[in-house]
Amino acid sequence: MTVIRILVQQARRDRVNLPVWVIGTVALLAVAAASVGQEYGDAAGRGEILRVALATPALLALRGIPNGVSLGSAVHFQSFAFLGVTIGLMNIFLATRHGRADEEKGRRELVLAGPVSRLAPPIATLLLGVVANAVFVVLAICGYAATGVPVSGAVVSSVALGMIGLAFLGLAMLAGELTETSRGANTIGVILVLGAYALRAAGDALGRPDVTRVTLQPAWPSWLSPIGWGQQTLAFTDDRWWPIGLIAALAAVALAAALLIHTRRELGAGLLPERSGRATARAALGSPVGLAWRLQWPTLTAWAGGSALLGLVLGSLVTAVSNANIGNAQIQSILQSLGHTGASDMGRTLISAVMVLVGATAAAAGVQAVLRMREEETEGRLEPVLAAPRSRIMWLLSYALIAAASVLIVLVATGVAASIGFAAVGQPDNAWLALGSALVQAPAALSFVGVTALLVGLLPRPAVSLGWAVFGILIGFGLFGGLLNLPKGVDKISPIANVPALPTDDWVPTIILALIAVIATALGAMALRRRDLST
Amino acid sequence: MTTVIQASALVKQFGRTRALDGLDLSVNEGEVHGFLGPNGAGKSTTIRVLLGMLRANGGSATVFGRDPWRDAVSIHRDVAYVPGDVNLWPNLSGGETIDYLTRLRGGADPALRARLLNDFELDPKKRGRSYSKGNRQKVALVAAFARPAKLYILDEPTSGLDPVMESVFRREVERVQKDGATVLLSSHILSEVEQLCDRVTIVRAGTAVETGALDELRHLTRTNFRVATGATVAQVSKVAGVHDARVEADHLVFDVDTDAIDRVLGTITQAGVSSLTVTPPSLEELFLRHYGDRIETEPAA
Repeated sequence: MTVIRILVQQARRDRVNLPVWVIGTVALLAVAAASVGQEYGDAAGRGEILRVALATPALLALRGIPNGVSLGSAVHFQSFAFLGVTIGLMNIFLATRHGRADEEKGRRELVLAGPVSRLAPPIATLLLGVVANAVFVVLAICGYAATGVPVSGAVVSSVALGMIGLAFLGLAMLAGELTETSRGANTIGVILVLGAYALRAAGDALGRPDVTRVTLQPAWPSWLSPIGWGQQTLAFTDDRWWPIGLIAALAAVALAAALLIHTRRELGAGLLPERSGRATARAALGSPVGLAWRLQWPTLTAWAGGSALLGLVLGSLVTAVSNANIGNAQIQSILQSLGHTGASDMGRTLISAVMVLVGATAAAAGVQAVLRMREEETEGRLEPVLAAPRSRIMWLLSYALIAAASVLIVLVATGVAASIGFAAVGQPDNAWLALGSALVQAPAALSFVGVTALLVGLLPRPAVSLGWAVFGILIGFGLFGGLLNLPKGVDKISPIANVPALPTDDWVPTIILALIAVIATALGAMALRRRDLST
Repeated sequence: MTTVIQASALVKQFGRTRALDGLDLSVNEGEVHGFLGPNGAGKSTTIRVLLGMLRANGGSATVFGRDPWRDAVSIHRDVAYVPGDVNLWPNLSGGETIDYLTRLRGGADPALRARLLNDFELDPKKRGRSYSKGNRQKVALVAAFARPAKLYILDEPTSGLDPVMESVFRREVERVQKDGATVLLSSHILSEVEQLCDRVTIVRAGTAVETGALDELRHLTRTNFRVATGATVAQVSKVAGVHDARVEADHLVFDVDTDAIDRVLGTITQAGVSSLTVTPPSLEELFLRHYGDRIETEPAA
């Protein structure tokens, strides 16, 4: 009975969170299914596109293994690996939220002080996970079925996803037994999910394509990944169940191990001891810039690494698209619109379009770095810094500097990675173009940094939500404004819509954007100088 | 005597609440000044105004004779601060945090830093997120004391410390005072203020209600007597300045105004005394007099 009571309480805590994850993931599936139906065209069109994919390791790495040309197969190919990641993350956070996080914050102690078995909370969490994944499976089957694909395939694909979710639930619960902090447990979990995606990406990219049957025999790394196993169901073609059994076995082993450790371990303890830090700080940690860098670089590594990876595959992508000679005018116009270019050359268009996305990523990294200021302020960590002889203006400029550095590092890393990618496929011209197109994003991305810094100075309380809202709206306008048939010029309110496609003679918008970045930051610093600190 | 902190008629408004309502505070060079008041009285708000984190809506304040808002940076060269609620960077170790905060002021004295870590029994290698409240406080205290300052502003610095650590803390305050520093110590722990402070300002609802040397303030309180004596309740009660006389476990117990001690001593010695316990007035009583009337009906602890 206590288990049920705890389960109800956990479900209540998650009454918004879990439905958002489940419905969001199903929506992702529905959108993918709808777009495949529209964009891939009929079976012949799907065949054409999937054969291009088979010849493009970058696409295989990104998406997975194609398996036949039926609509269901195409949707499966397009979305399965992504959905596996999403459902995996949902389960990771679920397990940690009700597991290690409760323990770390002392909430578990309150519960266990009552007549409650030590195993009751993890079993409740396990049941909650089972229910959440089951609901997802049912909705996903409905989502598939809505597009008119065979139900048997929909069931296999959806159950495979749900089982992947359970496997990651078990692995995350195991991670929660190993580490002492919820942060540690989540980190291990996220690494496992992304690792599962990456392993199968490598295996699929290196796989042996079979063009006649439009499928692929993945290389061994895919076999190390539960997402890779899920792909082996070959849903909608072969509908194999044994890979699902494999995933279920992993889930069972992980869950059993987690529960076994849980019964034997003291409250609050972890199998891995918390890594101790340095007894003294490095020399660099002696100024707000030093601290801002120290706080930012791990996140920045993720931003830059992810973006650079995209840059690296760009060369292979452009080659494949050029070779395939896709005469699809609609895709071309979408890419032209995204890249703000009129170039008719598909390769150049693609470079521009991708680099606009990279610019948006760099801007996101910058906005995130700037908003760290607000976190320092609300968490009360700014006070002791300003109680030292440090001025507010210099403090804000320190964070703005690190944010600007974040933007530039993301752009340079991606630009250089793309150049290497193009050099590798023997396109030196495009290598230079890609590097230049990455760097030319800088003023637009920096203008987001400036505007966000101004918000922190001027409107501290709503700065975080407002900062991301401004970012989201302006990026949205910039990326899709051209596609929405809005009146000419409306999309130009977005900084990224003013980034020129190279080569260009018109540098005026770029210079204006750079000026906006500088002036907004300065105004933000002045505004911070005039206001109270607020929490 | 130089005044280090001077605040007069400070007003600070947060929306509709008036956190400071004409607060006066004056701290002299070289003294340990107690800043006493219950939670929500405005102690931390005053400190934040004095540090230039908040700007007062009215009144005036100076620290080292300068404007705490405009000249924050130059004032803070000589200030060490321990916030009331210590928050650390979760992924920085305690040692890194101490080094960072002291370097902002010019760097810690390594020997002093090592001794403080030892005295406060603080493990500098643990990460900020894994420290308990008491240990977070120790990190802030070590960071404050590891580099000499002219003015120490300590906002309820011992609220998470155990008695042993409190005594380590007192030793540090006494040390910096001996070196000529000024200390503003906010607290609602009265014994601590009693032991450390030369002068005290008592604040309530954003206003200073009492200020002065502890000895001056003691006239406001009563000394508690517990005597085994031949004198009766009626005899003692007749003496002007004696309050609340009663018999407890064969002892005569009563409170006496400071100026009546002489008279009451005469009365009881005449009747003969076989045992006598005198409890000096505590700030506790002083406090209760301002914030509640319980002292009239309950004997002080």
